[in-house]
Amino acid sequence: MATIKMTVNGRERSGEAEGRTLLVDFLRQELNLTGTHVGCDTSQCGACVVHVNGEAVKACTMFAAEAEGAEVVTVEGMANPDGSLSVIQQAFQDHHGLQCGFCTPGMIMSAAALLKDNPKPTEAEVRHYLEGNICRCTGYHNIVKAIMAASGQDVSAVAAE
Amino acid sequence: MSVTKPLPHDSGPLHVTGQARYVDDIPTPANCLHLAFGTSSIARGTVTAMDLDPVRTAPGVVAVLTADDLPFANDVSPSIHDEPLLSVGTVHYVGQPIFVVAATSHHAARRAAAKARITYAEEAPILTVDQAVAAGQYFDDGPRVWQKGDTDAALAAAPHRLRGRLEMGGQEHFYLESHASMVAPQEGGDVVVYSSTQHPTEIQHKVAEALGVPMNAVRVEARRMGGGFGGKESQGNALACACAVIAVKTGRPVKMRYDRDDDMTITGKRHDFRIDYDVGFDDTGRIKGIDFQQYTRGGWALDLTIPVADRAMLHADNAYLLDHARITSHRLRTNTQSATAYRGFGGPQGIFGIERVMDHIAHTLGLDPIAVRQVNYYHNMGPVRAGKVSGNTTPYGMEVRDFILDEMTEKLLADANYADRKAAIADWNAKNPILKRGIGFSPVKFGISFTLTHLNQAGALVHVYQDGSIHLNHGGTEMGQGLFQKVAQVAASRFGVDVSLVKITATDTGKVPNTSATAASSGSDLNGMAAKAACDTIRDRMANCLAELHQCPVERVRFEDGKVRVGDNEMTFEQAAATCYQNRVSLSATGFYKTPDLSWDRAKGQGRPFFYFSHGAALTEVVIDTLTGENRILRTDIIHDVGRSLNPALDKGQVEGAFVQGAGWLTTEELVWDDKGRLRTHAPSTYKIPACSDRPEVFNVELWDGENPEATIYRSKAVGEPPFNLGMSAFFALSDAAAACGPNYPMLDAPATAERVLQAVKRARG
Amino acid sequence: MYAFDIERPTTIADAVAALGAEDAQALGGGQTLIPTLKQRLAMPSKLVSLTAIPELKGVCVADDGALCIGGGTTHATVAAQAAAHYPALAALAGGIGDPAVRNRGTIGGSLANNDPAACYPAAALASGATIVTNARQMAADDYFQGLFTTALDEGEIITEVRFPVPDRAAYMKFQQPASRFALTGVFVAKYADGVRVAVTGASEGGVFRWTEAEAALSADFSADAVAGLSVSSNGMMGDVHGTPDYRAHLVKVMTKRAVAAA
Repeated sequence: MATIKMTVNGRERSGEAEGRTLLVDFLRQELNLTGTHVGCDTSQCGACVVHVNGEAVKACTMFAAEAEGAEVVTVEGMANPDGSLSVIQQAFQDHHGLQCGFCTPGMIMSAAALLKDNPKPTEAEVRHYLEGNICRCTGYHNIVKAIMAASGQDVSAVAAE
Repeated sequence: MSVTKPLPHDSGPLHVTGQARYVDDIPTPANCLHLAFGTSSIARGTVTAMDLDPVRTAPGVVAVLTADDLPFANDVSPSIHDEPLLSVGTVHYVGQPIFVVAATSHHAARRAAAKARITYAEEAPILTVDQAVAAGQYFDDGPRVWQKGDTDAALAAAPHRLRGRLEMGGQEHFYLESHASMVAPQEGGDVVVYSSTQHPTEIQHKVAEALGVPMNAVRVEARRMGGGFGGKESQGNALACACAVIAVKTGRPVKMRYDRDDDMTITGKRHDFRIDYDVGFDDTGRIKGIDFQQYTRGGWALDLTIPVADRAMLHADNAYLLDHARITSHRLRTNTQSATAYRGFGGPQGIFGIERVMDHIAHTLGLDPIAVRQVNYYHNMGPVRAGKVSGNTTPYGMEVRDFILDEMTEKLLADANYADRKAAIADWNAKNPILKRGIGFSPVKFGISFTLTHLNQAGALVHVYQDGSIHLNHGGTEMGQGLFQKVAQVAASRFGVDVSLVKITATDTGKVPNTSATAASSGSDLNGMAAKAACDTIRDRMANCLAELHQCPVERVRFEDGKVRVGDNEMTFEQAAATCYQNRVSLSATGFYKTPDLSWDRAKGQGRPFFYFSHGAALTEVVIDTLTGENRILRTDIIHDVGRSLNPALDKGQVEGAFVQGAGWLTTEELVWDDKGRLRTHAPSTYKIPACSDRPEVFNVELWDGENPEATIYRSKAVGEPPFNLGMSAFFALSDAAAACGPNYPMLDAPATAERVLQAVKRARG
Repeated sequence: MYAFDIERPTTIADAVAALGAEDAQALGGGQTLIPTLKQRLAMPSKLVSLTAIPELKGVCVADDGALCIGGGTTHATVAAQAAAHYPALAALAGGIGDPAVRNRGTIGGSLANNDPAACYPAAALASGATIVTNARQMAADDYFQGLFTTALDEGEIITEVRFPVPDRAAYMKFQQPASRFALTGVFVAKYADGVRVAVTGASEGGVFRWTEAEAALSADFSADAVAGLSVSSNGMMGDVHGTPDYRAHLVKVMTKRAVAAA
């Protein structure tokens, strides 16, 4: 066991971790940030996506020790400073971009990473970017719509004729 | 009124901020133990020796239990007590739990479980349909046969006759949240169970049996699941029972969650089917007689295989009036996971059989596959069309009174521009040697109700507090489908208030007892009606009280727009609640509902098992690469019947998700067992679930503008399962594209992986 | 996972020293190694993380025109920074896994692991790349030695990979749909002195050069040039995702596509 320190959602946090402790377990168990979910354990499903030093990564496939000193942002840190929903969060709510909600935190984090690099993605770019995030409920239609809406684009024509 | 409004999912704000709690997110009590199963590595045989000392001495281990250590019932079966929680010496599939480890952490338990040394006397497993038939491994005392008319004579007399075989794979649920349970021991040997389950009462029942206590000593709470799809109807029993037994034994809280590979290896999946057909038809494609042989692998234990196989038989007709039909169902026992409920519950498998027949007939006669379907449709609920003369009953003798697929099909074909696109596809295919396009259509008529009639009941509990806030509880569970929001909209409408006044609360066997699983698409039908009954009871009491106070007829008390109008007086709902409280009116009520007009004789295969039918139709266009079999969906158009929708946004979401999941079942999702019975596709890296880029490039979903002729809650219809079947349109589009490569019928099987599509292209070419 | 310690050195020299410990193992981005550890298919006593070493990261062009990529450079960085110099390589990097995987996975990690279905080995072999380690330089032809096997010694770290930039090149991957690894991937690179064709995902022996296609394409760089060739299914992998016949068939189809795209 070693003490690991990192900045999580803007706050200095520390906790105990073994070498083999995964970042997702550290966040969930040491820091009680249970919004980051474990869906598959094998870096396929994307339910555990968080940002480390500004980049989207799968927290189930990174050791906590490797995030020592890093800036980590989880879904709990995505709301506006006043607590209101961010544009992306509000878009998922408004456009029904969720059903069971288990994939939603990872989707939000991936969407935020996409829009940071590509503020006005095409629909095809959104689909391509989300290939590491599985949703079993929605069929993705409303997720794509939500992200397009969050980027300030008209969604009335998303995937429709 | 809040019903019919497209309100967002009630948990949306919690989900997007990470605050929504699933079982594994509930703060773990101090001292909590974590469990892992040790499982069989062989598919069939006997345990000859088991050395668990390395498990017991592993770091963090507190207890290790085998079947001998279980105090009472060793059974987690939802049906006939044939499914021990822990093996009693024989093992029946790879992944069967043999022992359970309790340790101080999830990882410690898993690591310890891997240390067991078990030796087996191995027997040759029965894995395939052919092996099971040869060995006579039948559930339900052999094949079941239901029939209508004289099938043999009709087949012999038909102008054309065709035989074929369709193989379809099973399906892994892949709910994003794997199974989880937590049990907190209480005083006097009672327990509280938190479970990711579609069926809290079943969990309560099995935990009570495992602990040897009455059901009143067990309370089960289920706030939400991260997806269910039928996979959490019975498969959570094992986790809850294991946690409960160890919680009582140790006096400590106990939690268990399956890792994904454990979940995929241990739990049951959709039943795979083989369907052999023998069909006679005339020059228009009208079926004169049909014989179906349905074979399904039920796995090692019965679980829900009988009602699943029954529903496959009950949907063998899908949307088509069959005058002479015989359906034989073979429910086979195999050394694999016990196949279980999965969205559609056998219905899709039965429907897929006759949809293949329609496609095959059309190809044989050179007719449009949609025209062949239309000529076979049931009579419309409107005027009977010419040429349909033999009544309008299903093979199981139920009169079809609400058929609307004629108009739905015509509207879909017009809206999606079918005729022009079909011509354009033919043109395109003539010019493109490598890439070929195809278009496929599939309709669905889906029976709504549990076929086990007594399950068609539900309860609700509603409180109105003196500040006017409302507490709503019912027996249904939330797995993402939006049931809680729909029922809350019903409650808000009954009181004429905004839905924000209604607090939606976790499903709890201590509040509403004796519930059925949230399954069979029945959640809002049953629980919506039960909640309505409870709300109306309270509303009537309030109205009587207010009418008396204001000396006006009770008919003149109205609850609307957040106000209560009593004659010419008006007050807020909050004021009305406070007044009623001060006048000693009970503001709490239960509600109960049972579906009317059901009668079903399963032995004879006759009766009215369904309250009504839901309908839908889909048209899908694909392109395939004839060099590799790669393919993609270009466009899907859907029109779907949900009656008068309680919430169009949630219903459309269900239709979209169901289509993609149904298309996944028949295209990319392939379960593979090796010859030792080991599941080789037990992770998302080997089992392909549709990803964002797999969904149709153009996706138009429309809800049919209509209402349920039956008196359901606000004339709505069920939505969970029926649209799953629309994914078949993608499969038939692939088959159509393959058929464009040559003269032969491609005989495509499911799942239509790229390699299978390539083989179908070769068969088409001959 | 078995227990182990993690060290995060900041220089190559410190990393090499740390790897001198018994049963120590290098950890790149971990996108393959961590799943392997979870399955308990490896039991290191110590992991030496290479992600905190600045000198392992980056993309640059050498005096001879070769594209040099630090061993610790992520796929995402290669996808972005190699695009101007070697578009086919950048496209390959941008097609690995998914965005989150590309933000962690590294070229050195991929080549050191030499998964038979990984993409980078095809690029390195088809490009005649040079694998540079803390100790030596190796030609790609000598480096790949079969499934999960390379010429690396224990404790040796890939510090850089040097890719001669071809006149024309393309990589075509038929994805195993679930994992997005290559069910069959073909990298074709045309240099002044001939064409090289490397195939990943297909063979039981790992990445290999399809020499018949190289000869045919060196004579005539067109998709038609390989039309008459056939690939034997002997030695091709067969698994739940594809039969040996299917993979053999795909080798040719993907080669033609790559030539057409180059």
